[in-house]
Amino acid sequence: MGLGNVLFGRKKLKKAAGDKIFALSSARVTLEVELGLKAAGKAAVLFKPMSAQEYVRAENEMQELLDVVAQEAASRVTRRGDEFGYEWLIVEDNDFEDLINTVHLVASELASHGFGEQLLAAVFRFDGGEHPLYLIYGFKRGAFWPFIPKGDKERDNANELELKAKLEKELPIEQDLSRWFALFDLPI
Amino acid sequence: MASTPASRISLMERKAYGRDFGLSLRMGMTMFVLGLVYVAFFIALVQFTGVGIFGIVLIIGILSFVQFFTSDKIALLASGAKVVEREQAPELHDMVERLAAMADLPKPRVAVIPTDVPNAFATGRSQKKSVVAVTEGLWNRLEPQEVEGVIAHELTHIANRDVMVMTIASFFAMVAAMLARFGLYGGMFGGGRDRSGGTPVWLIMFVVSIVTYVISYVLMMMLSRYREYAADRGAALITGTPEYLMSALQKIASRISQIPQRDLREVAGMNAFFIVPTNVKRGFAELFMTHPPLEKRLARLAAISREMGRPVEP
Repeated sequence: MGLGNVLFGRKKLKKAAGDKIFALSSARVTLEVELGLKAAGKAAVLFKPMSAQEYVRAENEMQELLDVVAQEAASRVTRRGDEFGYEWLIVEDNDFEDLINTVHLVASELASHGFGEQLLAAVFRFDGGEHPLYLIYGFKRGAFWPFIPKGDKERDNANELELKAKLEKELPIEQDLSRWFALFDLPI
Repeated sequence: MASTPASRISLMERKAYGRDFGLSLRMGMTMFVLGLVYVAFFIALVQFTGVGIFGIVLIIGILSFVQFFTSDKIALLASGAKVVEREQAPELHDMVERLAAMADLPKPRVAVIPTDVPNAFATGRSQKKSVVAVTEGLWNRLEPQEVEGVIAHELTHIANRDVMVMTIASFFAMVAAMLARFGLYGGMFGGGRDRSGGTPVWLIMFVVSIVTYVISYVLMMMLSRYREYAADRGAALITGTPEYLMSALQKIASRISQIPQRDLREVAGMNAFFIVPTNVKRGFAELFMTHPPLEKRLARLAAISREMGRPVEP
């Protein structure tokens, strides 16, 4: 935040940076060949709906948005709320490129419907390890970080850091570890 | 609602609610006047006392530097807050993490204050060194979305670097307070010398310091109240749901006034930090409060809520 915004206490929300999400398609080879992790064909976009007050309008727009996505992409897209009051748009597609494209489409459609600042993260699931691996893409930061939940709200930090080292060359990885937020009990 | 051009336009407009020009203007004026008072005070210092005075300024500089660097530890100690790890409070950590991500802040440390009075504060010299503390009462008595509103308010304080701004704003007020005290001692022990037979220097400095202190204190409190409004606004942006912060503020305020004074003294020193202070006064006394009165905050939040879309009953 600039000095002016600090002086005047003008906290603003950062707009979504969605384009770096495509970097994931080049990291896939490393994930599959070197690490033995296969894309599970599932991803999700996480955002915070504006307000209960805008709910009716948001509801209509969301339906409209899902229709647009359904027309343009072959992937299956479903909606789910969670106990934090966030909305998940779950994308399922066995073709990895299509999966990424649809996630990007969903995110940019949300942005063009005025939800750009409410976009929090996109999540991609990979299987093959002891626990499922989730690659989280933070829209505020335009970077990825790994998330490996294990057991009861714990995460496998050792493996996450190892993945960071291995993926760093191909993926924009969030360097500030204090921003690697967790997404426990995620619906994919 | 179909996607007519009109509804598209209203969607574009929705992005503009992040600013409150009037609030920025008032904040700017307050800081400007505070700056003027300090410059005048500084000139008076040089005029009447000479270079010797800078020893005191330096000492207070160091003191306020130390205070700034230990602000998190001081606040945690004073409030009895304990930093909790993820295992101890997983839901709280989840909530803070997501909101911090939404606000594009590094995750602050999370602390819990073992008291049933619902309240919360944030402190720390920088965004990286910040702490968000909530009381057990806040977590237990409020709905999750209300707690989110409160935490988002605290995160906005961190984003706006309120600890730094208020430390800088209070620096010369501290100098003035110290000099008033020294001036008084100087006078009592006969340390002041006459200059060309006029009023003794210590008396002039004493009066100047007192006047500076009173004016700058009122201005600082004003600035603090404006920054509370700014934090409320930021919370509305981060959560997208100002109505939950409104109900949270109401619940916190009503809890605080219900509880007998005896319990309140435990946390009274922390008022400037808390989201809702424990000592609420009105009228003239409002000038000396760190926080705006509840009804004014609710009115502002309702206005933001209207800006965002739907009118909310006040």
